[in-house]
Amino acid sequence: MADLLGTFEQSVLLAIFGLGAEAYGRAVLNRVQETLERDVAAGAVYATLERLEARGLVRSRLEVGTTVRGGRARRYYLLAAEGERALGDTRRALTAMWNNVQLPAQEGR
Amino acid sequence: MSKQTSGPWRWAEALLERLLPEGTRETIVGDLREEFVEGIEPRRGRLWAQFWYMRQVASFILWFIREGEGMGKVLMALSAVVLACACWLAVMETILRHEGYAGRIAEALGIGAICAATILVKMLHAGLVVERWLWLGAGTLIVLGATAFLHNERAAHFEGFVMVISLLLLTQGELMLATMGRRNNGQNSVV
Repeated sequence: MADLLGTFEQSVLLAIFGLGAEAYGRAVLNRVQETLERDVAAGAVYATLERLEARGLVRSRLEVGTTVRGGRARRYYLLAAEGERALGDTRRALTAMWNNVQLPAQEGR
Repeated sequence: MSKQTSGPWRWAEALLERLLPEGTRETIVGDLREEFVEGIEPRRGRLWAQFWYMRQVASFILWFIREGEGMGKVLMALSAVVLACACWLAVMETILRHEGYAGRIAEALGIGAICAATILVKMLHAGLVVERWLWLGAGTLIVLGATAFLHNERAAHFEGFVMVISLLLLTQGELMLATMGRRNNGQNSVV
């Protein structure tokens, strides 16, 4: 099993998966903020995207930019097979870890 | 039409462009401009949007420091420590005004300027030519460090603080010579 993904890496990969063909930097940033329900610094998201791409968990392609971007290109991200596998491994590990665990404060809820 | 004049401050956008490596510059700056114009400014107003943009720029400074190549990160950290020491020394000399304080203040400010220039040049990807100019600064730090170390060794009263500072100056000077102004010195390994 590969190294387990951190919470932030999982949220970025799940954002890419959820956005499908629309997964470019800004959309991923907004989706991660919605998921985590807090403001997230752009630098953190882009650093994670770069790291995930370097590890082969995501792939990217460039597309022509719009006027509002001053003509700057958009980079779209796609979940790679390796990324899907890493997400699955992490989910299985977390599920196994939490299986049959009941924290005292949660009992009776 | 109003959207064409909208956008982050030009200097802030230019700063971000300088901070980012070439491969990612265009897409990230474009993404943030798009979010500024279409997302933040219409919802929260122009002033808040400018504040938001500056926060994003700051987050990329942290990215640079965390993701930079190993020796580069050590050099940045060392430069920041020596800069802080130089500023502290200049302030103390100004307050205490012992004999010959003006010369020591000038020396401390000179060291601080070299450190500040090192940090800025690395962060803003100023290029190999500018980095090579800092070899002069590296040489100055090595000479100052070696002189202080030798004087301290021969002095009647050995000062531990002077020894630490002189070793820091020597290390920084050598790191600057080893990592700056050379090809493949990690400038693009930020990503």
